[in-house]
Formats: sequence, C-alpha cells, structure tokens
Amino acid sequence: MKGKWRAGLLAATIGFAGFLAGCNGGEKPATSPEGKSNGEVVTIDVFQFKVEFKDQFEQVAKAYEDEHENVKINITTVGGGEDYGAALRSKFASGNEPAIYNIGGPQDVADWKDKLADLSDTEAAGLALDGTLEGVTVEGEVLGLPFNQEGYGFIYNKNVFEKAGIDPASIVDFSSLEAAVKELDSKKEELGLEAVFALPGKEKWVTGLHLSNTFLAPEFEHNVLTAFDAPTVEFKYGDAFKRILDLQNDYSVQPTVSLDYSQQVEELFSLERVAIIQQGNWVYGSIAGIDEEFAQNGIGILPIPVEGYEGDRIPVGIPMYWGVNSNADEAVIETAKDFLNWLYTSETGKEAVVSEFNFIPAYEGYDSEKIADPLSKDVYEYSQKGKTIGWTFMGYPTGWGENELGVQIQKYLSGESSWEDVIATSKAAWEKGRQ
Amino acid sequence: MRIREWSYWLFLMPVLAALVLVVIAPLLLGIYYSFTDWNGIQATGFVGLANYKAIFQDERFLNSLWFTAKFSIVSIVLINVIGLSLALLVTAKLKTNKLMRTIFFMPNLIGGLILGFIWQFIFTKAFAGFGSLVGLESLKGWLSTPSTGFWGLVILMSWQMAGYIMVIYIAYLEGISKELIEAAEIDGANAFQRFWHVIFPLVAPAFTVSMFLTLSNTFKLYDQNLSLTGGGPYDSTQMVAMEIFNTAFKQYDMAYAQSKAVIFFIIVAVIALVQVYINKKREVEM
Repeated sequence: MKGKWRAGLLAATIGFAGFLAGCNGGEKPATSPEGKSNGEVVTIDVFQFKVEFKDQFEQVAKAYEDEHENVKINITTVGGGEDYGAALRSKFASGNEPAIYNIGGPQDVADWKDKLADLSDTEAAGLALDGTLEGVTVEGEVLGLPFNQEGYGFIYNKNVFEKAGIDPASIVDFSSLEAAVKELDSKKEELGLEAVFALPGKEKWVTGLHLSNTFLAPEFEHNVLTAFDAPTVEFKYGDAFKRILDLQNDYSVQPTVSLDYSQQVEELFSLERVAIIQQGNWVYGSIAGIDEEFAQNGIGILPIPVEGYEGDRIPVGIPMYWGVNSNADEAVIETAKDFLNWLYTSETGKEAVVSEFNFIPAYEGYDSEKIADPLSKDVYEYSQKGKTIGWTFMGYPTGWGENELGVQIQKYLSGESSWEDVIATSKAAWEKGRQ
Repeated sequence: MRIREWSYWLFLMPVLAALVLVVIAPLLLGIYYSFTDWNGIQATGFVGLANYKAIFQDERFLNSLWFTAKFSIVSIVLINVIGLSLALLVTAKLKTNKLMRTIFFMPNLIGGLILGFIWQFIFTKAFAGFGSLVGLESLKGWLSTPSTGFWGLVILMSWQMAGYIMVIYIAYLEGISKELIEAAEIDGANAFQRFWHVIFPLVAPAFTVSMFLTLSNTFKLYDQNLSLTGGGPYDSTQMVAMEIFNTAFKQYDMAYAQSKAVIFFIIVAVIALVQVYINKKREVEM
C-alpha cells in the first residue's frame, strides 16, 4: 500500500517536471486552439516594432476584423527602446511563431529567408513604388511589403531662418549651407540660440548610419543590395563627409559626444534653442508633443549636401518591411497576405495609412494632399521629384554602422582619433565583416 | 533509512527539475553553442575552438574586461567602506537611527535603469549647472570623457549599493555582545582601538558576504551601465556584460557571444570562489 502511494507521488512529480518542460515545447505557429476546433476563425499574430503607431494600427486591425468576421488579429508590439531583432528571435525560439513580422534590410532577408512567404501575387506588391522592393526580392520572389517611406535631412527652424534673413531655398550645396550656418552663428544672441546645430554624437545611428549613408549611397549607386554585396568600402566622398560632420560639430551645443536624441530633438530643437538638427520626418510627433503650432508651421527639411556629388538631395528609403511567416498554416498565410494587401490598397486602409499613421506612402494611388505633417510632405515632394539618395545603411555589414563607424566617429569627436584613422579602421572593419 | 532517502529525493525533485531546466540545461546548451556557428536562428556546423581563439585577439572584449576589473575593484572598496561607515553611524546611539537606515537603504529600492537615467540627468545637467555657477570647469561635460564616465558609474554604484551592504554590517554589528566592548573600554581602549581590535575582527564574516555580493554585482553590471553611459563615449565605458550583449544582439554573432559568456562565467566563478575561500580562512584564523 505504502509503496503504491509513493509511486503515485513520484509519478505526480515527474508529471510536474514534464509540465515544466512542456512550457518550452513547440506550439504550432500562429493558430489558436479555437481556430482548429470550429474550423472557422483564423487567428493572425502580428509581431511588429513600430511603437509610435501601435494604437492606430490596432484600430485599423479592428476595422479589418469587422469586415472579415472569421479573422482575429492579435498585435504584439516590441520596439522603441527595445531590441526588436532580439525579441523576434526569442519569439521564434519559443515556438510561438508570429504570422506577420517585420524585416529590415538584406541581412534580415538572408537570415529569415526560409521563414518568409512569397508576396509577389498581392496587389500591393504591384503598386509599390519603383525601387522599394529591391532589398526584399530574392530570385523573383517578393518577401516583404514596405511599411512606408521615411526621409531625413537637416530639419530647420523656419522662424529663425526668416529672422536672420536667410532663404532656405538658396541652400543647395555645401558652401551655401556653410555661409548660412556662419550667418546664424554670428546672430546667435539676438536669435536666442544656444548654437546653430545640435549634433547627437551619443546616438551612433545618427552619425554611423544616417549621416554616413548620405555619403556612401552614391558610391553604392543608391542600391542597398550593391552595398550588401560590396566586399569593400571606398569612402569616395569621405572628405565631404568629414566637412559636414565638422560643420555640425563646430557649431553645435557641446559636448557633442554625450548629446542624445531627446536632448537634440526635444530640449534643444523643439524649444528653439538650436536652428538646425540632422533628423528625419519621424521627429514630427515629438516636436508636436511639445509645441503643436511650431511643428505645424515652423519646421522644414533641408538637403544634406554631398560635395562633389549633388547637393540638393535628401536620403529617402524604406525603414521596414512586413513579412509573412511561411511556416504558418495555408489559411493563415492567405489571410495574412490579404490583411497586408487590404491595409495598403483598400479605401479604409489608405485613409488610415495617411491620416492616422501619418505615413509617407510607399505605394502608388495615394493623394499627397492628405499628408498632414509638413516634414512628411517635404519628404514626399523630394521623392516625387526624384531628388533622393537611397538608403543603403541596411546593407552595411551587421553592426558596422553603429559599433564600428559610429564608435570611430565618437572617438574623432572627442579628439582621440584623426579622420584618416576613422576611415582606415572602418574600411578594415567592413572587409572583416564581409568575410 | 532507505525509506527516508527515498522520500527525501522525492520532495527534492520539483526543485531539482526547475534548477536543471532553468539553470543547468541552458548553461550546458550555451557551452555547446559556443563551439558552433549558431546565429540565433540555426547552427550549421561545429567550428571547434575558433570562437575562443578569436576572443583573445578581440581588443574590444579585452578592453571591456579591463574596464570591468578596474570598476569592480574601485567599487568594491568604496561600497564596503561607505557601507561599514553608514552601519557604524546608524548603530551609534542617535535618535534618528531608524529614519536614517531607511533613507540609506532607499536607493536600493529603485531599479537600476531608472537610477541610471536619474544620475545621467544629475551628471550632465545638475553638475554642469553647478559648475557654471561656481566657475568649476571640471564639473562640465560629465560622461562625455572616459574618466568622467568611469567615475560616474562608480558614484552611481556606490550610492546605490552602500545602503544594502550597510544592512548586512548592521546585522553583524548588533550581534556583538556589549560585554566585549565594555571590557575593552574598562581596559582603557579608545574609540579607534575598540573599533580596530574588537569590532573589526568580529564583523569579519560580514566582509565575506558583502564582498561576494558586491563583487558579483559589480562584475555583472548591465542596466546601470546601459542607462548611464550606454558604453560611450566610443565604447570606453562598456562593461563585459554589455559587450557580450552587443555582440549577440547588435552584431548577431550569437555563438561568438556565447563563448565570451562562457569565458566570463569562468572568470567570475574563479574570482568569487577564491575570494570566499580566502575570506573564510581569515575568519577562522581570527
């Protein structure tokens, strides 16, 4: 009798251990148990990174659910300060695979290729703007649909420029920019400025990714895949790069090495203590949060001039793509594709993309007048005119932009390293990263 | 007797199972991955010791290791000195004892990340503001050079952990019987002699505990490092934990990061064991 009791307890204990182990076990990707039992409801798990439009996106998903009764969309957002790439990897490792997730550039495509479904048969893929699908097309298969377009440049304070008597339209190359900066610097006191620029040296993505891209993209013919395949980097426009960096650093609030994004955008630019910052259309929300009126009427975007190349272009690109998990059930894949397609081609979807998400659409068939914020409008205009520089930084070797070049630039800004060393070290690191 | 052994293991099972699942299995799996070319999604093959060989030529990793070592030594000394001083202060006969204990302990209740951001504000704004008020240039531009970054981290860590260590010292100080101190007093020992020859040897066991805690905490520091300096400027204040994290999740060099983690684990384990062994021995001698 006693022996039996013990055996029972042992069985229970082992069962408990098994239960613990079970937590780690592989669940079927992206289908809920309910979905199976009644064979109707398809559940789409979306794992996305854009924190800024989380609420609006959830509402649009609800609208889709209302139109399609048997679809349930669960949205998980990991982004902002969180590391989306890391979170996505652990999500997949846990066996709880999402049906829709985000991929960035060619490296992501190479990493996730086996887990991405072909989206070339969707209407949205056909409507995507020229060149936006380059980075995600592998052997004729379109593995991602663009989120939106984003662009960056020198965001400037219109009021300050007006008071100083500078016409922003006259800034088309390096010398006119330099002249304007010197003019502003000399009138600093009366304009109420602390400095002309705020260069956030702490944010290695601003210097190592965005700024560097402006000068490396022409070298790679504006094509992210060319960058991705390049075994070496030349820094053909390295001197122009140095000049722009020096200009920003010399006329910036000091010390630049510890200046961060929120100081740059919120504290210094939004409160009109600096006149120009190197940022993109995404800062609109932050500025509007502090000074709605200023954000609406007081800001515009200027090109970053590349000496020896063209001076009047701004870098515009696709920050992220939507991918569909090819491991999911057939019904889930089809519904996921339909949802993404609906998001960018249906009237409800389009309306939301432009006025709710405040996106700069990456697809044809949008009314540009509806773009509400001035920065996005500027970016859209540049992209309409074809005055753009491609985004190639997603084709850099993994981590190179921030951890190699960005770090080297910090060293340069602190006076610990010469520009020649920055270039030489970064070149070597690029080659090492390509091995 | 056999029966007791039986049930003993039986009841231990759940704990053992949990330990194996969340500590031992990941550790072994990690060691296994460190010999492969795992990229976080899949491993395609074994690479032998290649990852480990690369580590010893990896300047960034070695720099971060050296920085961590410097930081740990300075922090351990400061935290223990401050912790013991605070403990002596609040065990003295003062009316505000209870209140002060709470206040000293409080920093420890705030999360590391938040503390990092608070101190970042203090160092970059309050220091600079005070500096320009009294005309001290050295208070400006904190965290923008390697040395201010280093001292920033030390100050933050000492401020946070001293209160915690204080609690440990208090426990031992209050355990000292009054007779011993009285006897010393009658024998004519002054305050310093009483501290050095009576109190100090008696709180020696507390050193073992405190040093172990401070050592492992400072060596493995991540969140304060991330939020205060983020490793900057130019990675000069990047500690090992952060370096490993960046290798894994910025470079996506998972297997390589894993082998760094294994090396790090061995280093921490060896230092901690040696330290406990030496301190234990000293306790016995005294």
